[in-house]
Amino acid sequence: MDTSSFGEFIRSYFLWRDPMIVGAVSGAICGFLGVYVVLRRIVFVGAMLSQVSSFGVALAFYLQGFSALSLFQSLIDPFALSLVMTGAAALFFALNRVFFRISQEGVIGFGYLLASGIVVIIADRITHEAHDIADILFGSAVVVDPKEVYIVPAVASVAILINWIFFKDFIFVSFDPETARLFKYPVRILNTVLLLTVGVVIAVTTRALGALPVFALAVLPALTALFLTEKLNWVFVIAVLIGILSAGFGYYFSFILSLPTGASITTCASLFFLLGVIWQQGRLLSRSKFG
Amino acid sequence: MKLPYLIELENVTIGYDKSGFLNSISFSIQQGQFWGIIGPNGGGKTTLLKTILGLIPPVAGKVHCSEDRSLIFGYVPQRESFDHIFPISVAEFVAMGRYIRIPVGRGIKKEDWKVVTECLEKVEIPHLRDRPFRSLSGGEKQRTLLAHSLAGEPDILILDEPTASMDIKGETAIMELIGKIKERDNLTVLMVSHFLNIVARFADHVVMIDKDDEFFSSGTIEEVFSGETLSRVFGLNVTVEQFTDKIRIYAGARGSDKKTET
Repeated sequence: MDTSSFGEFIRSYFLWRDPMIVGAVSGAICGFLGVYVVLRRIVFVGAMLSQVSSFGVALAFYLQGFSALSLFQSLIDPFALSLVMTGAAALFFALNRVFFRISQEGVIGFGYLLASGIVVIIADRITHEAHDIADILFGSAVVVDPKEVYIVPAVASVAILINWIFFKDFIFVSFDPETARLFKYPVRILNTVLLLTVGVVIAVTTRALGALPVFALAVLPALTALFLTEKLNWVFVIAVLIGILSAGFGYYFSFILSLPTGASITTCASLFFLLGVIWQQGRLLSRSKFG
Repeated sequence: MKLPYLIELENVTIGYDKSGFLNSISFSIQQGQFWGIIGPNGGGKTTLLKTILGLIPPVAGKVHCSEDRSLIFGYVPQRESFDHIFPISVAEFVAMGRYIRIPVGRGIKKEDWKVVTECLEKVEIPHLRDRPFRSLSGGEKQRTLLAHSLAGEPDILILDEPTASMDIKGETAIMELIGKIKERDNLTVLMVSHFLNIVARFADHVVMIDKDDEFFSSGTIEEVFSGETLSRVFGLNVTVEQFTDKIRIYAGARGSDKKTET
């Protein structure tokens, strides 16, 4: 390791403290909720929701440009609009099982592509904020809004509290919804609460980190954890740790190598995933060799 | 005098999305009976089972449950219906069968884990407790499913193809275990199966259905299992041999050189 770069990084503590806190908390909560996303085989819901969240932010910037809406300027807050739109998308997805005979994957793909297309169109229309929108899409911001140091941990705490109360029930309705219905569990309500939690967390973390790294953190740590352990509780613990490490290392390399932060976080999460694949293959190989 | 029932179907039509495919199903299940549901592939057996469980609403008619008490079902779905991506241990899986007695938002308590241990002992797999469910053999998975269904301390055990894709040794072991548990816990059992001889050996009553032929029949094994009805429902010559204490069923005409036990 280049000690001068590391020393410089340590000395610049005041610069990276807030983004690092927000990144680590985002990595932890996205890693945790990502386990459900992966186990329920809805990984692209993460991509769709983060894209819808970006759409909400872009739309807010766009609407702020209209003088006719000046009375509502305070209401057209990018964060609030992205939260509302992501929540609505999560709710729609949770409540509808039949989408005009289209598969769930098809609906997710449609939502993702529609949101992505509109974001690019809006970015083209409002060139003065295009840089902000690029930050939201790819997470190239090295600094974060000071408010987010409080908002992200607060939202993460609420999400963890909900999971602490309903952990057994979320696992049950995800793994065996048929028996859950037989046992008169409120399957639809539990699914809606879970997906809304995922939606709100994605909206908040997308605003702080960007859509690309949030999608990466909502999928890759959980997938990696599933390679590393056969125990469900440990999958959650390991996914949280990998989420934190991916965000932490991502910021570190972004800082010392002047890389785009979002891409750096995504690459770190991908490297952990590759290490997970190698670990699992090694384990399978040694099992087949030594019985 | 009409005997008290646990479950009674009154002119039920089964089907999906308000479109029925088999009408006028009526029969009642009493405490301690062992019912089999048989029929050809795609004949509506699992749909009937899920209608009884309340997972699919009947298109017409009514499914009555005992008025004396609220029934607890112990449901054993088909082994393949679980997604193996979940790293659930055998004990965790069995504990889920207990959730009918654990309200939403409440965690699993010490007493619940005690019941899980007892259920694993009942199905003779306490040593598999910490193994991942997905890593088990077919027979071990079936025992785990059975323990899962027992964990809720059910009144009625409902089994969907418990011996599907099993060799004869595994099939016999599972069926004998089900018979033993039924006797010991005085359970009522309702089982969907493809295997006519298994139903004939273990069940005392049977429902035979075929939606394509709009065929429904129910009663004791002796009443329902005749060469004529089985041949009609399964579309091939079926021979039924009645002995004093058992029935043997063969695919193929009596006296044919090649007879296959079904």
